[in-house]
Formats: sequence, structure tokens, C-alpha cells
Amino acid sequence: MMIFKKALPRRTVLQGAGAAVALPFMGAMVPALTAQAQTAAMRPKRAGFVYIPHGFIMTDSVDWWTPTTVGRDFEMTRTLEPLSAFRNQMTVVSNLMGADGSGQHTGATTAWLTDRYPEKTQGADIGAGISIDQVIANQIGQDTIFPSMQLAIEDITSLLGACDSGFSCAYLDQVSWASEDTPLPTQVNPRTVFERMFGGSGTAEQRLARMQQNRSILDSVLDEAHRTEATLDAGDRVRLGEFLENIREVERRIQNAERRSGDLAEVAPDSPIGVPELYEEHVGVMYDLLHVAFQADITRVFSLMMARDLSHLSYPQIGVPDPHHSISHHADRPDVMEKHHKVNVYHMQLIARFIEKLATTPDGDGSLLDNSLLMVGSGMSNGNQHTKTRLPNVVISGLIEGNRHIQVDDISRTIGQLHLDIAHQMGVDIADFGRSEGRTVGLS
Amino acid sequence: MYLRKNIVTQLAQALVLLAPVAAFGADQEAAAEHIETVSNYCFDCHNAIDWEGELALDLLDVSNVGPDAETWERVVNKLRGSMMPPPGQPRPDQETYHQLVGFLEDELDRAAMEHPNPGRPGLYRLNRVQYARVIRDLLGMDIDIAAILPPDTTSYGFDNIADVLNVSPTLLEGYLAAADRVSAIAVGDPDFPPEEANYSVSSMLSQNKHIDGLPLGTRGGMSIDHNFPLDGIYEFNTHFLVNSLEVIKGLQFPHQFEVSIDGERVKLVTIGGAADYTLMLENGAASTESVENRTKVRLAVPAGVHNVTVTFLEKTQALDVAQLEPFEKDNFDPVYVGGIPSVARLNIRGPFNSRSPSEITASRAAIFSCYPQLVSQEQACAEEIVASLARKAYRRPVGEDEVGVLMDFYLEGRESRGSFDAGIQMALRRMLMSPNFLFRIERDHPEVASGESFAISDLELASRLSFFLWSSIPDEELVNLASSGLLSDPLVLEEQVNRMLADEKSDALVENFAGQWLQLRNLDGATPDEIAFPDFDENLRRAFLTETSMFFASVMHEDRNVLDLMTADYTFLNERLARHYGIPGVYGDHFRRVKLDDPTRGGLLSQGSVLTVTSFAHRTSPVLRGKYVLDNILGTRASDPPDNVPALEENAADALDQESLRSRLARHRADPACSSCHNIMDPIGLAMEKFDAVGRWRDVDEGGEPIDSTGQLANGTPIDGPMDLKAALVEDPEMFVSTFTNRMLTYAIGRGLEYYDMPTVRAIVDNTADEDYRFSAIVQEIVKSAPFRMKQAAGDDPGRVVADAVALTR
Repeated sequence: MMIFKKALPRRTVLQGAGAAVALPFMGAMVPALTAQAQTAAMRPKRAGFVYIPHGFIMTDSVDWWTPTTVGRDFEMTRTLEPLSAFRNQMTVVSNLMGADGSGQHTGATTAWLTDRYPEKTQGADIGAGISIDQVIANQIGQDTIFPSMQLAIEDITSLLGACDSGFSCAYLDQVSWASEDTPLPTQVNPRTVFERMFGGSGTAEQRLARMQQNRSILDSVLDEAHRTEATLDAGDRVRLGEFLENIREVERRIQNAERRSGDLAEVAPDSPIGVPELYEEHVGVMYDLLHVAFQADITRVFSLMMARDLSHLSYPQIGVPDPHHSISHHADRPDVMEKHHKVNVYHMQLIARFIEKLATTPDGDGSLLDNSLLMVGSGMSNGNQHTKTRLPNVVISGLIEGNRHIQVDDISRTIGQLHLDIAHQMGVDIADFGRSEGRTVGLS
Repeated sequence: MYLRKNIVTQLAQALVLLAPVAAFGADQEAAAEHIETVSNYCFDCHNAIDWEGELALDLLDVSNVGPDAETWERVVNKLRGSMMPPPGQPRPDQETYHQLVGFLEDELDRAAMEHPNPGRPGLYRLNRVQYARVIRDLLGMDIDIAAILPPDTTSYGFDNIADVLNVSPTLLEGYLAAADRVSAIAVGDPDFPPEEANYSVSSMLSQNKHIDGLPLGTRGGMSIDHNFPLDGIYEFNTHFLVNSLEVIKGLQFPHQFEVSIDGERVKLVTIGGAADYTLMLENGAASTESVENRTKVRLAVPAGVHNVTVTFLEKTQALDVAQLEPFEKDNFDPVYVGGIPSVARLNIRGPFNSRSPSEITASRAAIFSCYPQLVSQEQACAEEIVASLARKAYRRPVGEDEVGVLMDFYLEGRESRGSFDAGIQMALRRMLMSPNFLFRIERDHPEVASGESFAISDLELASRLSFFLWSSIPDEELVNLASSGLLSDPLVLEEQVNRMLADEKSDALVENFAGQWLQLRNLDGATPDEIAFPDFDENLRRAFLTETSMFFASVMHEDRNVLDLMTADYTFLNERLARHYGIPGVYGDHFRRVKLDDPTRGGLLSQGSVLTVTSFAHRTSPVLRGKYVLDNILGTRASDPPDNVPALEENAADALDQESLRSRLARHRADPACSSCHNIMDPIGLAMEKFDAVGRWRDVDEGGEPIDSTGQLANGTPIDGPMDLKAALVEDPEMFVSTFTNRMLTYAIGRGLEYYDMPTVRAIVDNTADEDYRFSAIVQEIVKSAPFRMKQAAGDDPGRVVADAVALTR
């Protein structure tokens, strides 16, 4: 296999509106990771979690998500169809349960990666559970610059009031939790993400100097924070303790970034210019960044929200001018269900483009997809009723045998069993997660 | 002990506030009457067996509400909003009803006096919008903070709630990036690398007319203030809006395009005309590139903030094709090549061949209070600069050790890069990462026992004030007054609040308080459907925000009765918005105050901003509007929708059958699980139905049916249309004023209000009634209140313990 020092000249791409935006701009750019061995045995495993709000068409009488047949060679469904090129890497896992109860959207978002109920509060006692992506990142992400990345498409600052009453909006704003009381904010601006990945403007020397200075600043801040902490009362100390912990984490990241600064300078594409106006472009750029992040081993774990629960985002570009949330309450009317379905299919198509890129990017002896696992799905099945049983989720991965539909035998088994199984597939040896009671769903 | 005594005195002052009405124990006879009312009208559902709404009033003692204050405050809230008994169920007569509420409130206030609790906010962290304002006040420069820091989550409707402003690696990395960037630009780092800044305008901005802020005699374009980090060469590349064929529109005719810096034209060039048009027909992309190459500017610019405009000269009114377009929005057809060119984006690249600022920039002026002429003067001057910046940034006098830490970084920068400026830059960068900068630390008094209340210090008070009114750090005057212990003097405090409200920095209240309370920030995300609303463009979106912002600011600056927010007979309009509303006689893009002849357009609930953020993309939503009014105007908490019921039946509105929204909502209300709230929300929203989803007046709905805007409010008042609704909403002024107070107090103290804060809210409303609920009177009362001035020492919250104990006994 040829490894190019630089496969493509840098191009100025991703410049705003217009059909000419080159979405696969990074796909063709094989990173010249000269410092790293490229043997298959050493290629790391990666995991990605893609969240879709408001469920799918899964009513009492129609189900366009769940395959009608179980096991191998399952019958493809209308919703999963856009992913059908990856049938052999695909495992549909159905019949799992999420978090029911008050906070209908909050429960869906929160439990999707935590398998926990959200605490009903808007105050300091906000809490759920650590999310599975973080459990995995804590183990497999420690050598990379970002143990994990949290991305989203929607800007939460224009979603005031779009939260379940009595619950902090924090529950809906993200799916990743570093611990039971620490939700992790998402980033929506591709340029910001890019700058974090590649270290901002300036020469390689300037970037390196900046990192060294940042470390020395953080050392000193750590001292100051310790001194300050000692003078605070218990409650405030908790928050400052969080600050201290994060300083250590960021110091570690900078060390990793310093080690990588040479080879990353080689693979850095040109910077995106900001938040694209069009949804499809925005999603495309975010996935491009994740693609590079996987490829260049900048991170091994990500979560991405295609949209946020209770958003009024509409999709006129595919003929759906109605807000996604309101059409998810389709009241079983066929025409409204079709609209909701269109949005579902659209999301699947955009995700399929990313999977396609993973599948066609060499990684060791195989492709990136061969060494990655993606979980794609929602925390609700029937958005019309906020149903949180029979959750729709699919795993796409070259790490496990695909072409399967696993239907668990008992609808009271929780989504934590899938989480636990995914952790095991990623080589993370934990005995229990969420409400799994130590059971798994049988990915293999 | 002096300190102790001082605290107690202040506590006593605060208590007076908590108890506007002197009550001397519940009159048993009066209580008996109310017990009877409650038992007759509430026990049917709210008893220990049925436990509707998880409430068993029969287990509680009406004559002794103190121990169950949390529950009784819920009851009061429901009664105040006329939510209970549910419409359709028997109710006591109005007088009995109001007497009951009044009795309960008085009793609750009296009980609160006996066990006052000013609450305890968490550790405040600077949120994103505050960070940007602090940098402006500290260093005289603006930064694009949204491109650096992640957004902050909201609780209780605001993004400044201390308890949920947590810290994450992503946030810390953002702070590091911000500190690096801000310090480099502020000082004018001579090694600042060339970079590209991008300023985009929405493709929905119509550019066929003059845009306010751009030179007269121009049409379209954009105006930005860019901070040029160094003297140097900069490149200005304008990109024009292209259609889906990658072609700039309107190239068949010539257009004069100009670039100006600080009002001075630096480029005037013709784009379009025969040559461009021919090339466009042959090769669209090549013509776009040719035009964009010709419009490039490369020139030397001195460091500092400069205004850059890119725009077109207005042509004579010879009929261009664009003039014949049927819609307000000029960019409609994705493949059309006619029309006019529009600006899409301006890129500023540089600096190249840069050198240190030759002129004193605003940020350098803010930093360099001294400047050494000799090496021997450097150390002393650096100490002076660092100490002065730290005092502002940490919002208090700083200790020698704190200055010492920063001086270490000064020395490190001074030595490694060999310049005084580099040293200052490094010290500043370190300071911006200090926990004493990023957090607003308030300390407990060691003398105050856990659970007891104490007054926060004057310096802490200065910060609470400035973050409340300015979303930023206190200025020199506040810190000086606080340092000398004068700020808590009631007269001084009152004077300071008035000074702060008059200061232009109080626009933070418009942007951050009104912007969130009224959900104006959601306008950014509003995307009215372009088929249903072909006229909706970026100009209109901006106009909506400007109207409501100026309107709110007028109530604040003219110190009006806050009820004017609901009922004013004036607003602020430009031509675009006036035409949208059908109001004649307003010309030009700038906004001006307009007296309204038609009273239906007066007040917040008739403004395009509010009407749009409470609608769906393609049509109105009476439920969203009803809920908005309940939450933000009436302050009545609706119960959660029952589990596993589709939230809103109205959502299937676009079904093929022609059943009207009104009748679908009526069907929905037939379900008892839905009716108790929807009977209250829906009539409010239906009364607003004559405003469409972008706030235009209409008589028929989306389906062409005449609109019926009649209904009955929860208290039985029949209404028809927005005028009746408005009158009904302010009939009891206390409703709106107490919601306003509730929201503003939440924002002011950065925590959610608890039941024990309700007596404070009622006291503020009572105390400002004589002052006609003037804006400043409410602000003054908030600042004087116990939750703002005081704090409960860490430890168990006694109120909570009592409530929990009661819950356990059930």
C-alpha cells in the first residue's frame, strides 16, 4: 500500500453555500501517519454514536424500522434501506427498552447512551449516569488527543423553551455524560472543531510553542485553584474540583497533541469557514472532520446528534417544511407519517455517506469501517406516543459479524444490554452497565 | 462583635421586605371559612385516596401553612392562574376565590418571616455571553465568542443559572484558546500569524434596497467592525451569492460595487455588463471567479478596529427586472440568472508584512496605563499594569501573591521573547485562565452557622449588581465604593442602580434578559416556510428583533410601567416592518418610534418576534402561543402532559382532511387528561389566531376558512381576539408584574426560584404598586431583596428538610 507524504494538495473547500462544496474533501487525503505503524494488528478500534431524535415510524399497526424477519439475511425495511449497502456490517438490535416516565423527550435523550432515568430537576442535582461512549473513551481513548468528541448540528442558543417542563435543558442538549452529574457540551461550529483538532493558526513552531505555554499556564492555574479551593465551602468546592480535574485532563490532551504536532501538521486540511447555512453541508462537514479524526487517530470515540429532541428544525430541502417534532406526532395519519419517514430516511442517507467513507478509507490491512463500530438510533420508537420500548437501534461495524437482526426475547430488557455488549466488542471489560444487570444482546 | 451585628441589622432590613403586610397569627374564624372553601372545592380530587396531581390537601392544615409552604405555594400558583378547579368543575364565587388566595398568601408571607431563607446560588461561572462582555469592558475589544466557547445550557429559562454552569474539557480548551487569542490581539502581538476571518450574511437577506448602517446611496451589502491585530497588509475578498448553477445573478447589467474602510472608499469597480454576461453564458464558474478577482482589495491597514463595508451603488429607478419581482425577498429562484448581485461573504486575510501597531488601539489604551522608556522602568510599570488589570478582572483588590503569580508569567514572556509587550501579553493570558476570573467566588462567613443567613460582602454585591445589569464586571466606581464599604448603604446602592441602568451597558438586560425571557434568541432559528411565507427574508427577521429590543429598551430607559410592555400604543418600525404590518407612512431602513393608531398592534403579544417564535415553520400554533403566555406572561405553571400521550393533537394539522385546527383542538380537550391544561392554553392561543405565523394580520386561516377567535378564559371571561385577550391579561396587573418580577429575579440571582422565594416576589409586586410598577422600581426592589443581598450559609436547607419530613409522613 502506498503511503503518501501528502496525498492531495490542500484545497480551499467548504466555502459556504453552493452545490460545489466538496464533501469528500478529506476522504481522498490518506494521512501520512509516518510515525505510526500501519500494521493491522496495531490499528485501534473506534466507536461512534449517532443520535436521531423523535423516533421512527413504529406505531401499533405499522413498523417501518424493525425487520420482519429475525436472524441472518433479515428483510430490509424502508427506514434502513439507505444503509443496505452495508448489510454485511449491519446488526439491527430490537425490542430493547429505554427510560419511560415523565420528561418524555428528556428520558429518550438521556437514556440513549446512559440507560438511566434523568433526575427531574433544573438545579444542582441534575443527574443521570455516565454514558457508554465515555466508559469506552476512558479506556481506549487515552492515547489520543481527544478521548472523545461530542458534536451536534443544532445551535442550542435558539432553542429556548424547547425543553421538558421541570427538567434542565442540559438533558436534551447532549447525549454524552462524563459522569452521573456531568453532561458534556457539544460543538456545532466546524471551524472551532477544526482548530481544536489542528491547533489553530500560525506555523507548526508557533502551534507547538502555544501548547507548551498552555501547559505552563495550566500548571500554575492548578496551583491557584488548589489554594482557592481550600478557602471555599463544600458546595462550591465541588464545582472547583471539577475545574481542577478538567485541567489535568486538558494537560494530558496537550501532551498528546504535542507528541502528534509533527505528523498532524502533515494531514491538516484547510479550515472550514464556519457554520454552513445548509443542514446537509453542515452535517457533511462535521462527518468529514470525524472521518479525519478517526483516520489520523485524533480521537477514537465520538457522539453526534443529527438534531435535538423538541427542535423545530424543518427540512424543506426534501419537501418537509413542517417541524420535525410536530410531524413526529403524526396521529397515525398516513400523509404525516410519510413526512416523518422522509426525514428519517434523509438522516439515514447522510449517515450512509459517512459509513461509505469509512468503508473506502484504508486502515491497516482493511478499511476504517473494519476497525470501527457505529451505533445509530433513537431513544424512542414511536415518536407519536413517546414510546420508549422496542427502541430502534442498529450497529454498523466491521468488527462484528453483520447481516443480522437480533430481537431480544423480553421487552423489559434495557438498552444498557446493548451498551454493555458494545463495550465488550470494543475490548472494554466491564461487568455491568446502566440497568443491564450484566446481560448482553449477543453481538458477535 | 461588629460584623455579626452588621449582618443581623441587614437581615432585619431584609425581613421588613419580606413582610409588607403585618400579620398577627391566623384568625381562626377566617381560617375556618377558607378551610370550608378548600374542602368544598378541592378535596374531591386532591385527597389522600385519589391523590390527583400528587396532592392531598385533606392532610394539610389550612390554618397553619408554614410547614407545607412548598405545597401551598403550588396551590397559590394554580389559583392565581385560575387553573383550579379545572374549567367545567364547580368554583366558588369570585370573591370567595380571591379571598382564599389572599389569605393563603398572607399566611405564607407571615410564615416566611419566621423562617426566612434567602437561598444559596451555586458557584457562578462566567457564561459565554458574559465572557464576551467582560473582555469588552476589560480590554475594549469585541471577540466572536461563539466561535471559541461552547454554548451554555439553560435551566429555568436562562443560561446564567450557576448550578448547571459546569466545567468540561471542551470548555477549558475554549478558555485556553480565548485567552491566547484575546491577549495576542489586545496587545498587538507582532508575531500574530496571518489568518482568515469570514463574515457571512444570510442568503435570505434581500439586498435590493438600502440597508441601515451602510452609506446612503447604496443598496445591499454588509457592514462589519473588524479588529485588525497589527499594522499590515490585508486582503479583502468578497464572495457574491451564487445560484445553484454557481452563477452570480444579474450579470447582464453593470453594477457598481464598492469597498470602504471607515467610510472612505478604497475600491469602486463595475461588475456585470456585456463581457461578464457573455463569459457567464459560456462558463458560469469562470465568470464568478473573474468577478471575484476584480473585486479583491489588498491594502495596508493600521491596527485597531475599523469599519469595513462592501456594497453596491444604488442605480436610478429605471425598471430592473428585480423591481418586478412579486415578493419582498429578492433571492427566490435558485436557478434564476437575472435580478441583481448580492454579497454573500467577506473574507479578510492577513496581516502580511506586519509590524507592531503604530497607533494606540483601544485595547492597548485599556492595557498600557504606563509605558516604560527605560529597561529599568519595566518591572514597576508591568506590576502597575498587571495589578490594575487583575483588580478589574477579579473584581476586587488583589493581593501581592496574586500579582506575583502573574508577574512570573510577565517575566517568562519578557525573557523568552525579549519584549515588554510580550511579557504583558503572557501575564494577561495567564490572568484570563485564573479561577478567580472565570468564577465569581462568594465566601461564607466563618461566624455564621450552617443554615443561617448572612449579607454578602460589598465586593460580592458589586459583582452581583454588574452581572445582573451589565452581564459583566463592575466598573471602577463600583469596585471603589465596594472596597470602602459604602455600596451597601441603601442610598448609595439606589443611586448606583440608577446610574447603571442609565449606562449604555444596560443593553445587556435587553439582549440577555429580554432575549431569553421573551425567547427572542429563538428568532435566529426560526425558518418560516418559504412557500407559505415567500416574503420572509433576513431583513424581516432582523426587523423583528430590532423592534422588540428597542421596545423593551424604551420601557427600561423611559422608566415606564412594565405593563406598557403589554399595552403600549407605540412601537419601533422601519419601512420593511411597517409594510409587513400594513402601517403606512414609514420610509427607509432605519427604525423610528411610531405611534400606533390601531391598538391591536400595541404590546409584545402583537409583535412579529413573539408571534413568529411561537409558531411553526408553516403555520400558527395556538398551543405554543397559549403555553408561551402561560409561562412568560401569566407565570402559571401548566402540569406536564400525561405520559405516552401525543403531546399535541394539533400537530397532525396538515392532514388532507379539512378539519379545522379549532375543532381538532376541541377534540383534544375532550380527553380529560388533556383538558385541565388545554382548556386554559388553547383559548389564549386561539384568540391570537388573527396573527399569522409571521405576525401579519389575517381574517382567514391557512385553509382559507374565516378565523373564529372567540373563546373563554379559565376564569370564565369571554374573549374575542387579541384586544380582548390583552385587556384580560392585564386586568389583574399583579399577574403580569409578578411574572416579570419572577423572571427577572431568577435572572438576577442566577438560580431557580423556590417556594421560599415567593414571599419576596409578592413583596416586590406590592412595594412597587404605588410606583406604578416602574421598571427601575422593580429593579431597585430586586436589588434590595434578601435573595439578592443575602445568602444562606452552607449546610442543610431547613426549608427543604421540613418539606421532606412532611413528605415522609404521608
